[in-house]
Amino acid sequence: MSKVKVATVWLDGCSGCHMSLLDIDERLIALAEKIDLLYGPLVDAKVFPEWVDVTLVEGAVSSEEDLAKIRKIRAHTKILISLGDCAVTGNVPSMRDVFTVDEVLNRTYVENSDLKQLAPESVVPKLLNKVRPVHEFVNVDIFVPGCPPSADNIFYVLSELLEGRMPDLAMTARFGA
Amino acid sequence: MSPASVEIKTLKIDGRDVGAREDQTILEVALENGIYIPTLCHLEGLTEIGACRICLVEVKGTPKLLPACVTRVQEGMEVMVNSERLQNYRKVIVELLFSERNHICSVCVSNGHCDLQSMAQKLGITHISVPYRHPHMPVDASHERYINDHNRCILCTRCVRVCHEIEGAHTWDVTGRGSQAKVITDLNTAWGESDTCTSCGKCVQVCPTGALSEKGKSVSEMSKRRQFLPYLTLMREGRP
Amino acid sequence: MQKITIEPVTRIEGHAKITLHVDDSGNVQDARFHVTQVRGFEKICEGRPFTEMPALMARICGICPVSHLIASAKACDAILAVRIPETAQKLRRIMNLAQIVQSHALSFFHLSSPDLLLGMESDPAKRNILGVLAANPQMARDGIRLRQFGQQIIECLGGKRIHPGWIVPGGVSEPLTQERRDQIMAMLPEALAISHRTLTWFKSQIESFRKEIRTFANFPTLFMGLANEEGELALYKGWIRFIDAEGNIIADHINGPEYQNYIGECGEPDSYLKSTYYKPMGYPEGIYRVGPLARLNLCKRIGTPRADEEFAEFRELERHTVLSSFYYHYARLIEILFAVERIDQLLHDPEILSKHVRAFAGPNNYEGVGGSEAPRGTLIHHYKIDENGLITSANLVIATGHNNLAINKGVLQVAKHFVKGAKLQEGMLNRVEAVVRAFDPCLSCSTHALGQMAMHIELRGPDGALLDALGRN
Repeated sequence: MSKVKVATVWLDGCSGCHMSLLDIDERLIALAEKIDLLYGPLVDAKVFPEWVDVTLVEGAVSSEEDLAKIRKIRAHTKILISLGDCAVTGNVPSMRDVFTVDEVLNRTYVENSDLKQLAPESVVPKLLNKVRPVHEFVNVDIFVPGCPPSADNIFYVLSELLEGRMPDLAMTARFGA
Repeated sequence: MSPASVEIKTLKIDGRDVGAREDQTILEVALENGIYIPTLCHLEGLTEIGACRICLVEVKGTPKLLPACVTRVQEGMEVMVNSERLQNYRKVIVELLFSERNHICSVCVSNGHCDLQSMAQKLGITHISVPYRHPHMPVDASHERYINDHNRCILCTRCVRVCHEIEGAHTWDVTGRGSQAKVITDLNTAWGESDTCTSCGKCVQVCPTGALSEKGKSVSEMSKRRQFLPYLTLMREGRP
Repeated sequence: MQKITIEPVTRIEGHAKITLHVDDSGNVQDARFHVTQVRGFEKICEGRPFTEMPALMARICGICPVSHLIASAKACDAILAVRIPETAQKLRRIMNLAQIVQSHALSFFHLSSPDLLLGMESDPAKRNILGVLAANPQMARDGIRLRQFGQQIIECLGGKRIHPGWIVPGGVSEPLTQERRDQIMAMLPEALAISHRTLTWFKSQIESFRKEIRTFANFPTLFMGLANEEGELALYKGWIRFIDAEGNIIADHINGPEYQNYIGECGEPDSYLKSTYYKPMGYPEGIYRVGPLARLNLCKRIGTPRADEEFAEFRELERHTVLSSFYYHYARLIEILFAVERIDQLLHDPEILSKHVRAFAGPNNYEGVGGSEAPRGTLIHHYKIDENGLITSANLVIATGHNNLAINKGVLQVAKHFVKGAKLQEGMLNRVEAVVRAFDPCLSCSTHALGQMAMHIELRGPDGALLDALGRN
């Protein structure tokens, strides 16, 4: 049986969802026999694979780069999972939506700096005006709310998919949990 | 009122035959018979206003959906409280509530103790399918003991009703229409400057979300105490 | 002039890219480390009640949320102007130490051990924790267990492994039960054994990394960190101390808002990560490092018996201070040992089960500064509030910002040494990334990029027969 190809992606989030994935602890060892982790912060690939079965997306969409990335990933992924509140609702990153991008950058780079008081503008990706959940841009197949989702919920989702079933989190996951 | 003047009606709720007094609402009868109808703006001890529409039910012969909390029973009524159609409407209502303001559950004082949050879970909502509005809403922390965070308010008006009906102060009211609507204290002055507020805290305890909270509470620490309400109502009705 | 981009930098905690500028003869002229995301926590907290800060600020980072909880709660303690109960302080210390263990374990085993065990030039497809699992199951299991140990303690105390809300202004929200204490104590022997095993292994490997030791950000800088009254390692509470490359104390006992006189923040036009510098020396001369290496360089003792033995050996590496950032790994392992020993000591404290764990007060100051040592270095939260307790401004100085100048300089050093000629080799680029990993930067706000490399994409149909059953496409 060929291994299931999995990627993980980190957009605008805190990495807590990736950490919760690692919190499945020793179950990770058994899981490693069934999946190939092809892309993500935990492995070394620099290019998104041409095709993966499952991509777990942590984080909201907040910059032009995030947007380009999630569109590309969607086109190369069979099952896209919004992992955690930032991806699902926008969560804490979306709290900046009530301010303008300039206001946010000014606070950090002008008011709270002593030298070179200018917002970065080269190389770094431009921020979008609003931080949005992933499904406002691309089709999402499975939603796993939680800040972060519990390791048990993440393990349940992966196990169900490996068994060829669609996980149903409706009654076990809640926003903010 | 004397028992003789009350007529008894019989009706069906989800196929079950139930009896009710003529002055009862569908919601009351359902509750008495252990049939669950979800609610948000309803709170035992306060008048019903049918604001949130979560308790919408289907009544045979009527094309419209009717709010169970303000619809009186009628003889021979056939009520459906849990159809797929209703579930879908309820989901949309809760999703709209989430999209309207800034409900950041993870960092809310009422995380884990919130009626809106648990309603979403009960209805199986795993994401909000309408775009978030994320309006800039103020936080009024001018009161010595309490905070009013409009970001978390769902305009259920429990605060308005408890203040008027139980405390008798009528500090709270609603201003504006549609998406501009918000709860206010006195004539839209800062809560801390209110002349009428008795600082009794009933509004805080009945608030379903983290909109009204006690100062000093950290995230997830604001659980509400509501046991007092039916007791207060009972005591008041018992008075001559 | 040619430009080489390494993007994304992988196996680090956050997302970033590196650009190398190469001249016509193939020599690296300049190297830049860019952090590519910002979330604006210093703005989004504006207008929020200060009591919300610990849990909100914890969302800066899912790896070290406890550090943010602590720095934030301490800033709030200062706003309340209370002395929190002794037991609350000890319980916070335990959670902080548990986090040091789990975060250091993540950095060492999950992110860096692939380079150390499999080699800098090994197959990138296998160069990850699952590759380590195949090559040395014991080591991978040790890493998973040690991280689990830290996370379980956090869960025992705070009810949740990531983003627990348990540390609050004035103390902690729940006392420790005897049952939970015994549960943690039962885990200690295994954690101690793993710490020893790993340290022994690492020390046996040092010789084979001479080249990396010589070039991984190996240069004189200042070091900054907290130290307590006795000059011992201080992770929860202490005063900021600066030392120079020779180990002389150049500033000490810096407390509260005073940090602003010593630490300057400078924007970088091409990165969302600002650089901090030692103000009296200016920018960029005031380059300094923080984190495990800095902490062990600036303290006199560690404070627990076994860790102090290891510390003595560590300090023998060089005459004054240990300068190579490769030794961050070494320092990290010693700190893990210390953390396990100290947790044991704290759990034996007769007061640790006391129910008095929180002080209550309203805001008594309009301003509060809280600092603590995060796994990666000194973390400072600084809040100002209005008369109603709503945040009017916040300044956060994050560990990785302190290291930014050194990371940039380190990347240049290692790139100059390993990247030569027009031909790029995988092992060279991995070393450039590995120097970044040695600092264990917690960028906590970042993205992955698909890369500027030419990518030929062929869409092909799903091949996993197992998943076909789902009928989605």
